[in-house]
Amino acid sequence: MLSLKGVNVHIGKLHILQGVNLDVKEGESAALLGRNGVGKTTTLRAIMGLVAKSAGAIEFNGTDLATCQPHEIPRKGIGYVPQGRGIFPGLTVLENLCIGVTGKPDAQLEEYVFTCFPRLKERLKQQGSTLSGGEQQMLAIARCLMMRPKLIILDEPTEGIMPRLVSQIRREIHRINQTGISILLVEQNLETALKLCPRIFLMEKGTIVYSGAAQELKTQPEIVHRYLGLSM
Amino acid sequence: MIRTFVERFLLVAFAAFLVSVPWVVPVIANKFWVSVIAEILIWSIFAASVNLLFGYVGLLSFGQALFFGFGMYGVGIGIDQLHLSFWSAFAFGVSAAMAMALITGIFAVRLTWHYFAIITIVFSLIFYFLAVRLKPLTGGDDGINFSLPPVFSFGATRYSLTDQTFQYFFILAIFAICFYLMYLVTRSPLGRAFLAIRENDLRASLIGLNVYVLRLIAFVMAGFLAGVSGALFAFFGRYASATYMFYHVSGDGVVWAIVGGAGTLFGPVVGTTLFIFIRELVSTHWEHHSLIVGVMAILVVMLAPKGLVGLWREGLSRIGEQKTSSELNAKARLRSQP
Repeated sequence: MLSLKGVNVHIGKLHILQGVNLDVKEGESAALLGRNGVGKTTTLRAIMGLVAKSAGAIEFNGTDLATCQPHEIPRKGIGYVPQGRGIFPGLTVLENLCIGVTGKPDAQLEEYVFTCFPRLKERLKQQGSTLSGGEQQMLAIARCLMMRPKLIILDEPTEGIMPRLVSQIRREIHRINQTGISILLVEQNLETALKLCPRIFLMEKGTIVYSGAAQELKTQPEIVHRYLGLSM
Repeated sequence: MIRTFVERFLLVAFAAFLVSVPWVVPVIANKFWVSVIAEILIWSIFAASVNLLFGYVGLLSFGQALFFGFGMYGVGIGIDQLHLSFWSAFAFGVSAAMAMALITGIFAVRLTWHYFAIITIVFSLIFYFLAVRLKPLTGGDDGINFSLPPVFSFGATRYSLTDQTFQYFFILAIFAICFYLMYLVTRSPLGRAFLAIRENDLRASLIGLNVYVLRLIAFVMAGFLAGVSGALFAFFGRYASATYMFYHVSGDGVVWAIVGGAGTLFGPVVGTTLFIFIRELVSTHWEHHSLIVGVMAILVVMLAPKGLVGLWREGLSRIGEQKTSSELNAKARLRSQP
């Protein structure tokens, strides 16, 4: 579905991505892990067309994403929930939900979104800025769902959110994946990644240094320690 | 709740006042003020064009005078040199303004912030100096004077803008149509997309909005409003002049929209009304009335960044909150009583 082959990105004189190889299959849930500053967010920004790659190929369902403008990529079926939520704080919850929808909103889809995130239904007329961090995250994911994506890319969705809402967000991400939508999750929280994603990519200094099953990674604590600085 | 009720009441009162102006104003003041109010309506449409760009899309244009001038010259040249009828000249002026907005917009909306403001000033200046130099076509500094063709004629009966009451109602009708269109646009999915771009253009593109095309649409729509106001002003004054293409006219529109309340439908009307009244009341006694405008603009920007309409709405919201909390306190007292 999504494949990155030898992707290189330069920002100024810095060589940020140094040949990233990564793929997400249809209906799969994969996590991209790594320490701060290794190039995780840049990888996502390269997929979404926000930074230009200097070499390599990024394809989604056979389409070369390098030929697309950033606004065309969501229309191809990739939903992106950026780090720090990325909602429109001055718009109401309802306006945030409908903003990317072309044509008539799908009532059935709306109902599904509100089943996933019932809190949003109670706050439809509230401004985005008045929601809590967790609710804003829910809104950002819900807005993605309204665009009927085939793949959702989430950049640290549980960062800075209170633990009670973290478990709810995890549960809903899992439920979304169960409906056949692929997930690419960028996380620093190993526990969240291992719970949600059967496949893990580890990143270090702009390149993928490990790719394999989550179960396999659990049996290799030295790799986790080396690349994430964590002990299992 | 209180805000909706008060605002609806004010809207109805304002509409009733506008409809009664030709009969009421000459009684309480004199006929001159009917013309002043007609002028306010025209300039409010112009300020609305600045508001559409700045208040809804986040683009601060100092070039709206260019489209105002094209609307004005379209009417002037259309009637004086092409001998067009009233409606053809009106359509010619507005189309010329929209075409110019499309051409300049293709280049301008690629930029944002001060770069956008500067390029709009540059376009405005280029065409201002061209209009001054092309004397055979534009009349230069002297402008073009023309006689008004009738708006409608049924046999011997002619309705012309030379009749002050008819002229006032014609301007009021166009004003109402323009603001109703603004109302429809700001509440449509297109209006929501404009707001998303104003809030964060990068995020907007990440949800599939074509920021460039949407900004261009907004720019042409603002050109339409400025063109309509320019065409109306040409009919109102029966002349077209390059003076109105100079960027200080755009600056007036920016001040009116910001002081009234950018991003609100009627903010530009409030700002325009306030400053044109100040001009008319003070300028006969003191030639430096612009100082008052400047001081007021600074005060409003510092103390009420959402403009006078924003300040008014905040006040009403506070009253609503106080009322709700006092009701809750009263209920709590009742509950605590044995």
